[in-house]
Amino acid sequence: MQKYIWLVPLLPLIGAAINGLLGRKLRFSEQIIGGIAVGSVALAFLISVAAVYSYGFGGHAEWPRPYLTSQDGFSFSWIPGGAVSVNHGAQYALLNIEWSYQLDPLSSIFMLIVTGVGLCIFVFATGYMHGETGFYRFFAYMGLFMFAMLVLVMGSNFLMMFVGWEGVGLCSYLLIGYYFDRQEAANASRKAFITNRVGDFGFALAIFGIIATFGSAQYVNVFEQAKSYPIELIGHWGVLSWIALGLFIGACGKSAQLPLHVWLPDAMAGPTPVSALIHAATMVTAGLYMVTRTNVIFQHSQTMLLVVALVGAATAIFAATIGITQNDIKKVLAYSTVSQLGFMFMACGVGAFAIGIFHVMTHAFFKALMFLGAGSVIHGMHHEQDMRRMGGLKKYMPYTYWTFMAGWLAICGVIPFSGFWSKDEILWNAASTTHIPLGWVVWLVGTIAATCTAFYMTRLMALTFWGRERFLEAPAGGEADEAHASAYDKGLAQHDATFASAGDRPRHEPGEHVGPVHEDVAHHVATHGHGAHHGAHIPHESPASMWVPLAVLAVLATLGGLVGIGPAFRTLTGTQHPGGHLNIVTWLNPIIWNPVTREFNTPDGHEAAAATTETAHAETAAPPVVEGAEGAAEAAHGSAAAVYGETGFNLAHAVEGSTHSELATEWIFIIISLVVAGIGMLLGGLFYIWRPALAGIWSQRLRPLYVASYNKYWVDEFYGLTVTRRTMDLARAVFRFDSGIVDGIVNGLAWLSRLFSRIVGGFDKYFVDGLVNTIAAFIMRLMSPLFRAAQTGFTQNYALVMVLGLMVAVAVFFARDILAVFQR
Amino acid sequence: MTLSGYEALFFWIFGLAAIFAGLLTVMARNAVHSALFLISSLISVAALFILARAEFIAGVQILVYVGGVMVLFLFVIMLVNVGAEERGTEEIFNNQRQVTASLIFCLLLVGGMLYSINTGYRGLQARYPATPDVVAAQESIRDQAHAPSATGSSRITKDTESVGSSLYRYASLPFEIASILLLVAIIGSVMLARTLKQEASADDLDPDTLETRINAD
Amino acid sequence: MLSFFNVIFLLQEAETRFDMMKRAAVNPDLSKFLVIGALLFIIGVAGVLTRRNIIVIFMSIELILNAANLNFIAFSRYLSEMGSVNAVAGQIFTVFIIVVAAAEAAIGLGIVIALYRNKETIWVDEIDLLKW
Repeated sequence: MQKYIWLVPLLPLIGAAINGLLGRKLRFSEQIIGGIAVGSVALAFLISVAAVYSYGFGGHAEWPRPYLTSQDGFSFSWIPGGAVSVNHGAQYALLNIEWSYQLDPLSSIFMLIVTGVGLCIFVFATGYMHGETGFYRFFAYMGLFMFAMLVLVMGSNFLMMFVGWEGVGLCSYLLIGYYFDRQEAANASRKAFITNRVGDFGFALAIFGIIATFGSAQYVNVFEQAKSYPIELIGHWGVLSWIALGLFIGACGKSAQLPLHVWLPDAMAGPTPVSALIHAATMVTAGLYMVTRTNVIFQHSQTMLLVVALVGAATAIFAATIGITQNDIKKVLAYSTVSQLGFMFMACGVGAFAIGIFHVMTHAFFKALMFLGAGSVIHGMHHEQDMRRMGGLKKYMPYTYWTFMAGWLAICGVIPFSGFWSKDEILWNAASTTHIPLGWVVWLVGTIAATCTAFYMTRLMALTFWGRERFLEAPAGGEADEAHASAYDKGLAQHDATFASAGDRPRHEPGEHVGPVHEDVAHHVATHGHGAHHGAHIPHESPASMWVPLAVLAVLATLGGLVGIGPAFRTLTGTQHPGGHLNIVTWLNPIIWNPVTREFNTPDGHEAAAATTETAHAETAAPPVVEGAEGAAEAAHGSAAAVYGETGFNLAHAVEGSTHSELATEWIFIIISLVVAGIGMLLGGLFYIWRPALAGIWSQRLRPLYVASYNKYWVDEFYGLTVTRRTMDLARAVFRFDSGIVDGIVNGLAWLSRLFSRIVGGFDKYFVDGLVNTIAAFIMRLMSPLFRAAQTGFTQNYALVMVLGLMVAVAVFFARDILAVFQR
Repeated sequence: MTLSGYEALFFWIFGLAAIFAGLLTVMARNAVHSALFLISSLISVAALFILARAEFIAGVQILVYVGGVMVLFLFVIMLVNVGAEERGTEEIFNNQRQVTASLIFCLLLVGGMLYSINTGYRGLQARYPATPDVVAAQESIRDQAHAPSATGSSRITKDTESVGSSLYRYASLPFEIASILLLVAIIGSVMLARTLKQEASADDLDPDTLETRINAD
Repeated sequence: MLSFFNVIFLLQEAETRFDMMKRAAVNPDLSKFLVIGALLFIIGVAGVLTRRNIIVIFMSIELILNAANLNFIAFSRYLSEMGSVNAVAGQIFTVFIIVVAAAEAAIGLGIVIALYRNKETIWVDEIDLLKW
């Protein structure tokens, strides 16, 4: 079945093409458009499932080797590049970039996430986007996005990844700017694209470096060669570090890490399904995919691993602190996404790449769930997004409430929900890492960020679903639209969106109750079709097309973590990583490179990152492992310290020094993370359920912190001051130069030409013509009588002249003979 | 083609007559006299043609040239000549400068022509020499070949026959063109010589000319 | 002494020349025909250039054409004796010259009539419309 994976990107593309090109022309109904879109993604999902199953678990399973479609003939010679010079060994390599797909452990996970979660979101979107005039356009862009994302994750070489990279960036732009007539959306989409581009610059340079160093862009070739390069420790910066730097810059741009995170919160101006799919589950995880794919290169550069981990940690805490104070439900989720992405990069930075991908997966489940839940809330609240005007929705929207709760528990890290498994593993690996120094700093920052996460998510739940129903009391703001809540706060109620929006945005008059009194009936009835609910405006549960995907995702968010039950539970499960190669860490082992063995991991039980402190066996090659001999496998864990040298204080080792048991150490950290999650949740409940006044009091007491957090640490303003506005100043200066000087030169030359022509004209008219006229008059006066004399009108004069001419002619004719006469 | 005997005598007579008549044509005061002198010159030249064994052309000359063209001349002289010359009220020659220049040119021209004729003929003779006796003998042999006339005193030459056969065979195209030329000449002359009234009645006048002329008359 | 010999020489010269002239006179040949033709031609040219009466000018033109005819006929005779195949061409040409001369005379005199009707004059020096 693997050989059909080339259909997986193609089907959504076909669906998108049909919808996009024909949707409006042939006036497809919403059912048809939705059907085509959902059907194409569903089909892609089914093929992915079948392909992954037969790749990993079927009769002729190819796992752990990667499967390339070129093995079965699907390989299109995309760029036959010819000879390129490389920096090693052979001076020239033949660069042939092909278009073929690769099915290996990493891409299979991403395929399933993208198509599976994407399917849920597509179904949700058919309900959410109901009534939009650009329905077909939405699904065309979404299908295009699916295609690009699948090319990204399924490509077999860096250039295909880059194509997908750019494609998802483009689709992000198109989809954020879906409501293109709204200024915020247009600005946000531009910001997203440009910020992405900054990252893409680094990525492109890294690709050039890869081609120049390894002479190929295919993963299999590059990583085979990269394996044997020397590892560059901190302090030694070599070519692989440069490449890793470029790659990480790209990842920062795409996955919204500091300092290129600014686009993600603004991207909430797009429709909620877009936020769910692109900015929670798939696009932003492309950076993670890239880092994990190139973990060989990253693990060769200790400096870059440290950078990744620190940037991830900084982003996690940074975004988490901002999320505490935001009032727009989608903004909270956006900052939460940024923070969780930081967690994922933390995992990669400390060497636990598989755990990073695990967190990608669980995060996709619960964040998409929460975004869709937020979408359902917004839809039910009639496009109200400000949490301060929600409350007590749990009895109005039960499905949404219960599914959202699953997501909340997952993100807070409550056992046995999915978020717990992945987040705990990340923190454990941060504490015990031997890849980089300062692992304890990463752990500490991550723990604090987890606390903040629990706090603000509980706050969100409290403000939205619990408590009293504030929507019945609070007056409606100026424009109760998506992304307008903050504008209302700033008092910019009368701002740009004065023209009719592309969507079904309701308009409320200032001071009007969102509740019972509600105007704008006709518009709503026509487009929204809610009929009877209009006058009362009670929040209502969403239709089945919306809450069913929520339920599916809730199940996944609850149970999805069980594929990654960590080694801490080995006493319960009996193995380090239970589930055979259904366990995500085992599954991903073949693509993770082990710096100790300098080879990719063999399937059974070897993790590159998890260095246990129990073993004293170092630098042993990977012994063959039998399924039951976990102890031997564990003992054969090489401590990466042998490779990366002394990495300073190792928190896990320190704790283990006291407890003398690796298992106990692991459990201590699990307890710590559960406790901090609990503390966060309790604080959230305290501030927002039991003692709501405390929120106001503490925000006053910590006023500077509150203001800084609320204003997102003024990063956007900083960028505006230093970059954006300076660029526009430059543009204005250049424009002035061009219109003033360049145009001035041109105009001046034109003026000169005109002046010159006037001079010449004058010269011609007076001097030259005068001369000609004088000469003509002179000739006339002189010659005229002479020539006149010849015109006698007397015919015989003319006859005489004819005779004369005859004589001359005869003389000429006989000239020789006449002359001969005289010479004789 | 050396002439001898009576032929030579008649050659000189008719030759000098032609020249003399031509001279008088140009110098006569009366236009009618000029015409008559021209007629005599033409007839003399016709006689010279006969001496040059071109009998047919001589006949054509007399019939067409003298009988047609000169008669036409006489008609026109009757129409337009007012006799002022013979009365002495008008000059017959142009102003002096014109006449002097003409005479100079003509003398130069004739001098050149005569010199070139003599020189050329000497050259021609050097190339194709022929003594008179031999030529005469050859001619008499040729003459024997012709059929005698009815009276037996002369022979009927084949000149007309040769001219005709040549004209209708080799020169038939120029012959036809000549006939068209004559047709054109007829039409043209008729058209040229129409009076105003004739033109008006044939509707060949534009109205302006008609007005002008009618008012002028 | 010298004068005596010169005189005898001159007399001999004169005699030879006289003989030649006599022979030329008694046996006129092609060149005499051509001379007569040339003289007629010149007389005609002189007439065209000097006379005032337009009719007389036309008649002088006829003289010119006639002289040309004589030339052709003389050569026609000469060539037929010299054995040329196409000696009759001269006479053919003469026919055509006569035709053309007749046509030209007709047209020309028609023009004279029209001219006379318009300008009431036959003196060429009074017909000078082209004068500046």
